[in-house]
Amino acid sequence: MFDILTAILIAGLTTGALYALATVGLSLVWGSMGMLNMAHAAMLTLGGYSAFTLCTVLGLPVIVGFAGAIVIGAVAGGLLYVLIVRNLLKTDKATFEANVMIATVGIGIALENAILLTYGGQPLKQPISATGSFVLGPVSLPFQNMLIVLVVIALMAVIALLLGKTRMGRAIRATAQNREAAQLMGVAVNSVYFQVLVLSGAIAGICGVMVSSMTQLSPPLGNDPMLKAFIMCVVAGLGNLPGAVAAAFGLALLEAFVQYVAGARWGFPTLLFVVIAVLIWRPAGLFGRVQIRRM
Amino acid sequence: MNKTSSSKGMSINARIDLLVSLLLIAAAIALPFMIDSRYVMGQIVLALFYATIASQWNLLFGFAGVFSLAQMAMFAFGGYATAMICFYFGWNVWAALLPGALSAVVFSLIVGLACLRLTGVYVALLTLAIAQTMYLLIVTDTECFTMVGSICRQFTGGAVGFARFGDLGTRALLKGQWLAGNYAIIATLFAVTMLVTYIIVKSPIGLAFRALKDNPGYAVARGVNRFQAQLLVFGISAFFTGLAGGFYAAHFQAIGPGILSMSQLMFIIAITVVGGVGTFWGPLVGTIVLVAADELMREAGEFRTLGLGLIIALSILLMPKGLVGRLGDLLSWLRHRNRAAASAITFQEKPATTGK
Repeated sequence: MFDILTAILIAGLTTGALYALATVGLSLVWGSMGMLNMAHAAMLTLGGYSAFTLCTVLGLPVIVGFAGAIVIGAVAGGLLYVLIVRNLLKTDKATFEANVMIATVGIGIALENAILLTYGGQPLKQPISATGSFVLGPVSLPFQNMLIVLVVIALMAVIALLLGKTRMGRAIRATAQNREAAQLMGVAVNSVYFQVLVLSGAIAGICGVMVSSMTQLSPPLGNDPMLKAFIMCVVAGLGNLPGAVAAAFGLALLEAFVQYVAGARWGFPTLLFVVIAVLIWRPAGLFGRVQIRRM
Repeated sequence: MNKTSSSKGMSINARIDLLVSLLLIAAAIALPFMIDSRYVMGQIVLALFYATIASQWNLLFGFAGVFSLAQMAMFAFGGYATAMICFYFGWNVWAALLPGALSAVVFSLIVGLACLRLTGVYVALLTLAIAQTMYLLIVTDTECFTMVGSICRQFTGGAVGFARFGDLGTRALLKGQWLAGNYAIIATLFAVTMLVTYIIVKSPIGLAFRALKDNPGYAVARGVNRFQAQLLVFGISAFFTGLAGGFYAAHFQAIGPGILSMSQLMFIIAITVVGGVGTFWGPLVGTIVLVAADELMREAGEFRTLGLGLIIALSILLMPKGLVGRLGDLLSWLRHRNRAAASAITFQEKPATTGK
């Protein structure tokens, strides 16, 4: 009974950490610019594959691969802004929401397919992973899971500091609260958008490496975390970072539990029912504030 | 827009719509006599399905502003319901089509009750999650429901789906010409769907849908019930989509979970976006362009999906209102230029035409 419980707990916390990372990337972009990035999944995959290329194909050390995944993710985010988002921002807010979603859907498909064409569909092994486990009495903690949780905690701390303490973070938060007011106070909103997308791309790169180290590299790698991250964002209220992290861990634990009790195929449907129940009860999400919009 | 120009514009637009539909009907009747290739005919029938689904997604998103990503789920629900009624109860396909479509409506109303209290992207995310759940539950279904011979059948058909549950009866009736018969049936389905959509869009309730899309606050203040109106359009759209799903199952004599895949949904979205979101003829134009592009890219084989993704992104960037929207811009620009040439006072008119 005890080892079942710890197994569920370990699985839940690890996937929770991964979901939290995916969720933060999405939620950051939504919160500050009202953009739902459907290409996030493909950016995750891109991060995983860049680490593979650098370490396995080119034989560079693991740390370079990890850094490379971050850089390539950030570049992808930057390109997304320069090529797509910048041009769509000229339209008004309601059209922007829908248009940017459709455009990123297209980019996501194209990117995923480009990865499929470059690397092929067969699953590959992520070189950045740890083997072995830490045994403490009846409990055995795989190093891989510990690594993921530690990396995610460290990353969360960095993001929190970045948003809370730096000038850039203040600008991002000001833009998220009120775009026009921030602009009037002298915040260069466009460069904030650029920074947010670069940051979210970098997070996606790390997240892709972490997710693929748990499973394997395959072109549709990012889709499952992204779908779940969507659900977690919705539960927490889109754009709410601490809420998103809490929802990610809570729902991942629930998923691990349901998967153990009722079988793997019921994990996702259960999450969905929880989400629908939450949304009927609180349409703006658990932690979301009801927005009053002026017409 | 002031009142006189809008009423005058309506009548011109209505006349254009009438002319276009008459031409299309003539072309549709002439088509089977001009094409001998079975492959081309088959692709045209498939394109008609795409056009029907896209027109209903356009009604939902383009006219009523409900960003639902469960469109293929409604289609699959109608198709599956029709197939399952035939498979388990041995009904004739024609008798099962209406119950199939109605069950899609019931499904859509349940989904709508859960989702339509929300707005914008929340609706999109939740409907996407529901469609994915439906796909996962069907694909991972391994429990035996009935035994067919020595083969185990799952209740939902599992990853294989259903086959051999009956057809539209054209094979028995027309023998070698059955494909033309099916073409006639599906073309009629498309025409009826378009006609009903046109009536809805032009009716007072259609105006309410559009008002909710353009300015929700104002529409609600003028007494439009957002939840009821959107639930209604969700149900209407699901009826025709589900009906098309039933016909799809009957035409191919098979249905499987593949139609729920993301790429199918993307194709429908791409059709609507390229043709023009919120324009009546957009889905049809988009279908013609994208099915043709798809056939051309078939030569390029594996680059097909890549090309499709780029087409979606580029057309949103370069022509947010789609091909039909661009054409409309061109027409109004020409009309405006003619009027400007005719009258001496021109400087005040410019913003009025660019606004819509």
